[in-house]
Amino acid sequence: LIKIKGINSLKIRNKISLFLLLAAVLIILPFTIENQYFVHILIMVFFYAFCASAWNIISGFAGQLSFGHAAFLAIGAYSSGLLFNYLNLSPWVGMLVGGVIAAGVAVLIGIPAFRLRGAYYAISTIAFSEGFRIILETVKKVGNWDFGAAEGIMIKPIGGDSFAAIQFTSKIPYYFIILVMLILVILIAMWIERSKLGYYLSAVKEDQEAALALGIDAHKMKLIAAGISAFLTALGGAFYIQLIRYIEPASIAGSPMSDQLVFFCVVGGIGTVGGPVFGAILLTIIGELARVYFSSLPGLHLVIYGVIVVIVILFSPHGMLEPVRKRTMLIIRKLFVRSER
Amino acid sequence: MLSSIVQGLLIGSIYGFVALSLTLIFGILKIINFSHGQLFMIGMFVAYFICTALGISPYIGLFLAAIIMFILGYFIQDKLIKPVLKKESGVREPISALLLTAGLGIVFENLMLVIFGSNYRTLSQASVDTVKISDVILPLPQVYAFLIALVCMAAFYLFLKKTELGRIIRAVGQDRRTAYLMGINVERTFAICYGLGCASLGIAGALILPFYYLHPSVGNVFGNIAFITVVLGGLGSMPGAIIGGLLLGVAQSVASIYVPNTLSLTIVFYLFLVFVFIRPRGLMGSKHEW
Repeated sequence: LIKIKGINSLKIRNKISLFLLLAAVLIILPFTIENQYFVHILIMVFFYAFCASAWNIISGFAGQLSFGHAAFLAIGAYSSGLLFNYLNLSPWVGMLVGGVIAAGVAVLIGIPAFRLRGAYYAISTIAFSEGFRIILETVKKVGNWDFGAAEGIMIKPIGGDSFAAIQFTSKIPYYFIILVMLILVILIAMWIERSKLGYYLSAVKEDQEAALALGIDAHKMKLIAAGISAFLTALGGAFYIQLIRYIEPASIAGSPMSDQLVFFCVVGGIGTVGGPVFGAILLTIIGELARVYFSSLPGLHLVIYGVIVVIVILFSPHGMLEPVRKRTMLIIRKLFVRSER
Repeated sequence: MLSSIVQGLLIGSIYGFVALSLTLIFGILKIINFSHGQLFMIGMFVAYFICTALGISPYIGLFLAAIIMFILGYFIQDKLIKPVLKKESGVREPISALLLTAGLGIVFENLMLVIFGSNYRTLSQASVDTVKISDVILPLPQVYAFLIALVCMAAFYLFLKKTELGRIIRAVGQDRRTAYLMGINVERTFAICYGLGCASLGIAGALILPFYYLHPSVGNVFGNIAFITVVLGGLGSMPGAIIGGLLLGVAQSVASIYVPNTLSLTIVFYLFLVFVFIRPRGLMGSKHEW
């Protein structure tokens, strides 16, 4: 009798070789694709995976749903873009500035909302981000800094390649930047999951009373998670404006952007490290296909996202990553067993 | 100033009405219905097509809209939310059910966008009758909407307090397990509540049609306002929802004297955040945490 086991029981050697193989594929991949459009899609997949992973830290690990993460993206994008345009500050610095602002805002929203449970945080994030979007759409100029109102802002082009200004003529450098960012956020998520903070957060999520009784400062833990999550999301926003060179409030700060991040995590598996990445890969590709083949129907990709989310919640409430992984492992095991015979 | 306060009260009655139906669903099911705004938009569309197809006034069409929306809501609860709630029956905060309603909201909004396009529709007449009370001139459709909304809310209150079904609904809201032990069909009560919430949205949609534009994204504004209204009033408090709605309407209307019209909503949202900072449990919320 052969017992079928999960991935955890694979030999460590196999795990390392699998990881090296994946790394090699990811490094070589952009050079093998001639069509820049496909490289761009890969970048967008990683970008969404990055943002969804950041969202997951407050909403998945700590169980405090945010429907307003687009505001943090916008804070990151506007901070780094405006600081570069008017103070010639490198976007690498600008993105950190944006991150700190976003983290501060998230903590401020969290202070009252985390005192109460339930949907308070969700509603507060909606109120903040929708209000913020309207501000961005209305404010034209502050001093001589052009906010562009509804038209958004453009990054001042420097012409040619510059690492300090994060401007490249080719898409490939962006690919590697977002790949490194994604790996970093995954490492952070893995670290949080295994750290004291992660255990505290999941204790608070499962049963706040019991956690409080054990002396866990639930309020502070949630604030830390909210700060980290918003900080990382703002970094994503700063990357986005460098990639596209142009942003408008409706697309970066609007509720469809916030909702997408939620959906990626729900579909992949909320509160897991791999879930947001898996969900982002799956939905972004489906969404892109819908956009290419049904370009006459704008908004269709959101209908598809929504329907997938509803189906996943109904039939696989913990996300699709776990069931999919189990199935694949089953298949791989069967193949191995056969070849060993 | 006075006229904008009155204007605010008029639109605030609709906010209050929408928030009241959200409170009903929350009070009984303990889920914030994140597709509330989109259901309101669907209610508007239903009322719009009833009125244009049958050529009747929205004040008659609202009965039909209420019935159609009740059926829709009943089925959403019975076929979609019920199975999710069942799976999570032991969990205190049903997060999946909440996400499900959010997903449904996105589907509704974008489906309507795909089907009906992004044209703006209106049912407004060329000339609007007005009524003059001392110095304030008011458009009549808004006055009708205000009065009918008040009547509906009063009827709602009496229904919950005085009828057998109202008592059953309140019992389920207070303690669903005990209600179940008393022989109440809890799941059917849930579905009726969700249906009633949607029916109210059908009525509110019909009331607002004569003086508001119709667009698939209109639900966003009303949904967001409804969310902050219920928190402002105190989660689960019905009088709180009504007073909160009126207050928001006035705040928005007064704010738009001083800032551009679009920014007035931002002022309202941020005032709300400041308010929650000072008094998290809302105007009339109980100390009991939900």
